[in-house]
Amino acid sequence: MGKKKRGHPDVEELLARPWCYYCERDFEDLKLLISHQKAKHFKCDRCGKRLNTAGGLSVHMNQVHKESLDKVENALPNRQGLDIEIFGMEGVPDDIVQQHNQRIITNFYTAQAERHAATGNPPPGQAGGQGPAKKIKIETPEELKKRLAEHRAKVAAIKANGGTLPVPVVPPKAAAAAAQPATVSPVAGQSPAQGASPFPPPQPGFPYPPPVGVPGVPGAFPPPVPGVVPPGAYPPPVYSGATPTPPGGPAGFNLPARPTAGGGVLPQRPPYYNNNYPGGGGVPPPGGPGGYPGGGGASTVDDLVRQGAGGDEIDQLIRAAEQGQSKPPAEAAEKKSKSKDKNMRMVYGDSEVSPEEKMALLPRYAVAAA
Amino acid sequence: MAPATQFEVSQPPSDVISSVVFAPDNTNRLLVASWDRNVYLYEIAEGTEDATLINKFEHRAPILDVCFGANGNEAYTAGLDCSVKRIDLSSGEQTVLSTHDKPVRCVVYSPQHSMLISASWDHTLHVHNTSAPTSTPITISLPGKPHALAASPSKVVVAMTARLVHIYDLPTLAAALSSPDPSSATITPWQTRESSLKFLTRAVACMPNDAGYATSSIEGRVAVEWFEDTAESQARKYAFKCHRQTAPEEEGGGDVVYPVNALTFHPVFGTFASGGGDGTVALWDAEAKRRMRQYQKFPDSVAALAFSNNGKYLAIGVCRGFETDMEDFNSEGRTKVFIRELGETEAKGKGPK
Repeated sequence: MGKKKRGHPDVEELLARPWCYYCERDFEDLKLLISHQKAKHFKCDRCGKRLNTAGGLSVHMNQVHKESLDKVENALPNRQGLDIEIFGMEGVPDDIVQQHNQRIITNFYTAQAERHAATGNPPPGQAGGQGPAKKIKIETPEELKKRLAEHRAKVAAIKANGGTLPVPVVPPKAAAAAAQPATVSPVAGQSPAQGASPFPPPQPGFPYPPPVGVPGVPGAFPPPVPGVVPPGAYPPPVYSGATPTPPGGPAGFNLPARPTAGGGVLPQRPPYYNNNYPGGGGVPPPGGPGGYPGGGGASTVDDLVRQGAGGDEIDQLIRAAEQGQSKPPAEAAEKKSKSKDKNMRMVYGDSEVSPEEKMALLPRYAVAAA
Repeated sequence: MAPATQFEVSQPPSDVISSVVFAPDNTNRLLVASWDRNVYLYEIAEGTEDATLINKFEHRAPILDVCFGANGNEAYTAGLDCSVKRIDLSSGEQTVLSTHDKPVRCVVYSPQHSMLISASWDHTLHVHNTSAPTSTPITISLPGKPHALAASPSKVVVAMTARLVHIYDLPTLAAALSSPDPSSATITPWQTRESSLKFLTRAVACMPNDAGYATSSIEGRVAVEWFEDTAESQARKYAFKCHRQTAPEEEGGGDVVYPVNALTFHPVFGTFASGGGDGTVALWDAEAKRRMRQYQKFPDSVAALAFSNNGKYLAIGVCRGFETDMEDFNSEGRTKVFIRELGETEAKGKGPK
């Protein structure tokens, strides 16, 4: 909601921000709030004149355009009334103020709890214990590309040395099935592999990312995280080249890369699996799937935040209002709309045949004989 | 500033409106063509808020388009019965100018060249010399089915299926018409373009200053382009979304996208109005790329729009819009024609920012 990203303001700061009665948006200072209200809520849609209050706009509409104003534009559904005279923060009913403050406070603490959960930092005043989860590191495309280039160079070097890799073709299902147990019962003695990994060492205690639908990864593979293998790449050579595989051992880490489905990037699993259990590379986690800390119902921190705040009625109203806001004709706003367009429903969808041609076929419009 | 007023025409057509037009020499006279097989002639009584039905001209088939000829007493119609007709509005006499092989979708008259151009679903244009009504028209074949047609003082823009847009030069057509053997003349488009819109073109309107044109599609979008074929002119073209509504969350959210059925330029200020299936009319400033106004919603889809020649009135044809998969479609009792009298500066743009 337009908040500056300067750390996380404390709750007093948030409560002190002036906010708009009509849309619950908050502002840096009162001046901004007033100009917002004039532009968004008290602007005449006939001539563009900005009035100071809803009452003023109503009088203006009456006198200048001979029309009556029935509601405040761009307001939340239950705040469209003209009966309350609002100017800046003046005139807001007490119960609404209370409600707003309550909402800010709730949101603040929810967000704070989320941050603590996400960063693994203990809440202030508590002893640092086993944080439930660490912040998920997200790489920028540039970083990813750089690492991909490094990895390719390594592979090329190994190939040049004669250390070619066998490339068994495994059908996606089989691979996925095989991969699952492999992560649950790793082969002992894999730890040394870590040192020779071509990838930067993963953060200790890194949670296994929850395998919940992530855009760009078709299949049930976990979302891209550090250690991403590019499409068509094979497991880091370190597993077959540098690490002696136990003879007759399970496919384990020798598994070839899971075939990419549609070119999505695949995360590389094994290295940080081991790091989840610093105690010993070979200890299977109790309860198998328990090895996915943080793998709850929510797939991202955002989801968690959304879930946390989901019950707030006003938040929902605001969200709905934000989606419904009509935008002026921004030239070629195509890019922004790409994701939204998937969701659109065309009232008339045939791009080959015009409505007139379809109407012409209706019996009621049949041409009378000459 | 005179107050803006809006009123409804008392005897509207009984079915879907295909077109509304104002007379070139009379601000108060307008024609409305309808699928109910009639063309309606209305006159706005000066100083009152009423438009009375002067006459109606029955055809044997639904009328897909109408335009005025050289003056307010002459009109041309495009019929579903494949014929292009001239109507003498004072006597009611109808004469067939030419017959296409398929229904005629659009007609447009060029007062500068006394030419009538008709576009038909048989993939042809007919160019008629209206000063010699008995002469055979020139036939120009098109690569696609035409859906919209508009003329500027020197150009005519034809929008077809498969996103094809052809622009013809009117003086060239006039020269071909006056040549000794018009039918043998080969006419090539002055420009061929691909529509900037990805979906079926719904309407075309030309700028009154002959600089360019606007197109709209079934997918809630309008594009503005310029005729001049230079890099910088072409770089000025743009498109924007409009006539959309957010669907309620319980219906899955997202946008409901309406077709933009009508476009018309203001003859004086060069701004333009768009009318959509969502029942709204918006006024746009093409230069400043801004929406100037959006009028209060009409009860049904906006099918046609027209400004009077001095820009004082905006006629709005409102009826039920045809949507995907409509079996029993009719617009009975839902067809209305509104006339909005604009304030003096209501449609005046602010110019480029």
